[in-house]
Amino acid sequence: MMEPRDIELIRALQDEEIFLMQRPFEEAARRLGWGLQEVLERAAALKGSGVIRRFGAALTPRNAGFKANSMVVWEIAEEKAMEAGNRLAGHPRVSHCYIRPCFDGFPYNVYTMAHGNDPEDLERIVLELAGIASAASYRTLDSLKEFKKSSPVYFPRPTEPAGA
Amino acid sequence: MTDTLDGIDKSLLNRIQGDFPLSADPYSEIGRELGISAEEALSRMRALVEAGVVRKVGAFFDARKMGYTSTLCAMDVPQERLQEAASAVNSYPEITHNYLRAGHPNMWFTVIAGSKERIEEIISEISVKTSVCPIRNLNATKMFKVKVDLKVGE
Repeated sequence: MMEPRDIELIRALQDEEIFLMQRPFEEAARRLGWGLQEVLERAAALKGSGVIRRFGAALTPRNAGFKANSMVVWEIAEEKAMEAGNRLAGHPRVSHCYIRPCFDGFPYNVYTMAHGNDPEDLERIVLELAGIASAASYRTLDSLKEFKKSSPVYFPRPTEPAGA
Repeated sequence: MTDTLDGIDKSLLNRIQGDFPLSADPYSEIGRELGISAEEALSRMRALVEAGVVRKVGAFFDARKMGYTSTLCAMDVPQERLQEAASAVNSYPEITHNYLRAGHPNMWFTVIAGSKERIEEIISEISVKTSVCPIRNLNATKMFKVKVDLKVGE
């Protein structure tokens, strides 16, 4: 599905340290042994086709002033879920929004991540969201502990045989 | 932490979050817009990463467009076995996030892999290793938004 040369470029662009160099794409070109022009053109094409969603930065919400973050789950009638999901996703303090299946004892089908400056701000935001969600009920699932947070590795190189 | 960011840092964050220039000399471009040198733009970015304000600068991929599939899973782990279960879950490179959350189920993790079959395989392995059953595979049927782009400094 993906062209081998695109896969090579994706591997190179996953190395985040190049983006903290003065000329990131030139560095990628050097590592790949390609010309800068090909890197820029292929990267633009990958962006155009949506494989690369964006070049940019992700903040650590906690450190960027968003000290209170929560997963909020909503119980919304199936026929209203699409419209409610669109409204929730449109809120500036909602970063993620999905419809997911419910299960025994857990009737919530719309999932959002909401971010506040502090617990009071988050509470205010959740109330705002409740006002637009048309939900029968909802729950705020505070995170009590972060066990793992990492970036996915796409197209990992096959591991070298031991001793190679 | 925002208290220690000055106006230029905030402008830099808001400028770079959603659109890092795809060009030969991106930091010059950003510096020009903010009225600082390319060197200062870069050194400020490095400091923001160092301070943990910025988690990542670079390319953000659409996993599905590359043939990857992802899901959210939930399992309910007895309190005394949390650490052991977390180790089993965290051992998979395909699992990128894992949180303990209030209520039941209490352990929530995301899996991203090359196929649905691989995801199912990981889930059943974890179920065997932790003796927790069922593990709920909450595959999204609709995704509205996945962008963390929050305006800094209001």
